[in-house]
Amino acid sequence: MSAAVAISPWQRLWGAYVRGSARHPALASLVPFVPVIVLWAAVARSGIFPPVFFPGPVEVLRKFDTLMANGILPAYLEDSVVRLAAGTATGLALGIPLGLLIGMSDRAHRALWPALLFFQAIGDIAWLPILLIWFGFGLTTMIFVIVYTVLFPVVLNTVLGVRSVPLELHRAALSLGASKARVVWEVVLPGALPNIMTGLRNGLGFGWRALIAAEIIVGTSGIGFLMFDARRAGSVVEIMLGMIVLGVLWYIVDGWVLAPIERATGERWGLVTR
Amino acid sequence: MRAGRIASAAAFTLPLLALLVLWEVVVRAFDVSPRVFPAIEPVVKAGIDSIADGSLIRHIGASLVRIALGTSIGILVAVPLGIAMGTNRAVSAFFTPLLRFFSVLAGIAWIPIATLWFGYGFGAITFVIFNAVFFVVAYNTLLGVTGIAMPLRHAALSLGATRRQLLTEVLLPGALPNIVTGIRTGLGFAWRGLIAAEMIATDVGLGYMLFVARDFYRTEVIVLGMIVIGALWLLIDRLLLAPLERATIERWGLVRAA
Repeated sequence: MSAAVAISPWQRLWGAYVRGSARHPALASLVPFVPVIVLWAAVARSGIFPPVFFPGPVEVLRKFDTLMANGILPAYLEDSVVRLAAGTATGLALGIPLGLLIGMSDRAHRALWPALLFFQAIGDIAWLPILLIWFGFGLTTMIFVIVYTVLFPVVLNTVLGVRSVPLELHRAALSLGASKARVVWEVVLPGALPNIMTGLRNGLGFGWRALIAAEIIVGTSGIGFLMFDARRAGSVVEIMLGMIVLGVLWYIVDGWVLAPIERATGERWGLVTR
Repeated sequence: MRAGRIASAAAFTLPLLALLVLWEVVVRAFDVSPRVFPAIEPVVKAGIDSIADGSLIRHIGASLVRIALGTSIGILVAVPLGIAMGTNRAVSAFFTPLLRFFSVLAGIAWIPIATLWFGYGFGAITFVIFNAVFFVVAYNTLLGVTGIAMPLRHAALSLGATRRQLLTEVLLPGALPNIVTGIRTGLGFAWRGLIAAEMIATDVGLGYMLFVARDFYRTEVIVLGMIVIGALWLLIDRLLLAPLERATIERWGLVRAA
């Protein structure tokens, strides 16, 4: 280190962060949030915006504490997660068979594909008004919207996956005496699995937003409702809390559920598609 | 060639026509109440009426202006920022989790706070669209720039490229396929965000048209609105996004593979 080049404490800190995050990857996904929170607190404290409009992290944390203690947040969180899980599971249960059918049968493809593209374009949220007329303000409406959202990416990607399985593999399995059902189960489905996972990930990304919109508009419970109810009361603290909970929840779903499944399918079946 | 095209267009529209017939038959056979689901005729009539009194055009215009404005501001801000964050490896590693966090929230989750900050109306909705596009495009631009192989940058520099040339000849073209993918995804979120926000926070626009019709059980207007929303999205996707994606991948796709 030459004396001519002065190294500021910030550079030292940055160097320490770069070295530390290289050693512990978990740090790399947490530390970047620290300056954001500090900045947030500083802006809130400075009083540029009225505190009612722009509360700081301390207020949000305190609100988190209150809502955890009186049980509102856990209850709403559970409602949202259950809706998302039920909707996604139904979407997968409908979407994968439909995708297999369309992917493997030319006739089904010709008959259903245009309608599929059209209904996908309408988009989940545009269904909300008519669903409200059909099913009222309730669980059915919300689940329907999520199923609708998850269904299309899963179907479209399953079709893509099925078509990516080389024809030779079909023929090889058939000539080795596999039944049609076995070909589906042991060749087509595993071959399409990486694509199905992509579909699930896209579907969840959209389904997640649809859930928030549905909860805001249907308005009975859930994180989306928490945020919109807070909006009516003018409580920015609760809205911010809701947004943070949503973001953290997605991180958990993504890191603990989606990524491991994706890795497992990639490792186990990744070679099949090649 | 032309005959083939007509045949494929027919193959595409035939199932949709079948769907229309099915719709009419079901509504008649089961005598479905118009408060539950309309027949085709009232929907067509609602379409003609709303075009005649100018309200449909007004709603469509309001929605399109919002989405165009929010999307262009989003792209204009996101692309330079994404490239700036992506130029240094450590800096991009620092910003990646932040952008991931915010791109998860992008769009609809901002509706409550946007309406509080900007009030109900144009500002809040455009803000929702802006941030739906902004975070997704910035994240994808960052991914695109970090994905450019280091040797390519070094090669350009060692051949005497200035920083500006590096930007316009290496970084921007290399990241372009990702940027376009980001725009496509972001616009998908933004479109849904637009409809949701219009249901909640305004008095003009397609989402509003649907939601008000619900108050009066006018299903024919709701179905008309859904068809318009679907058709508009198909037009945006097919005429704007898909050609853009094809053009960039065809022209610049190889740059990334190299």
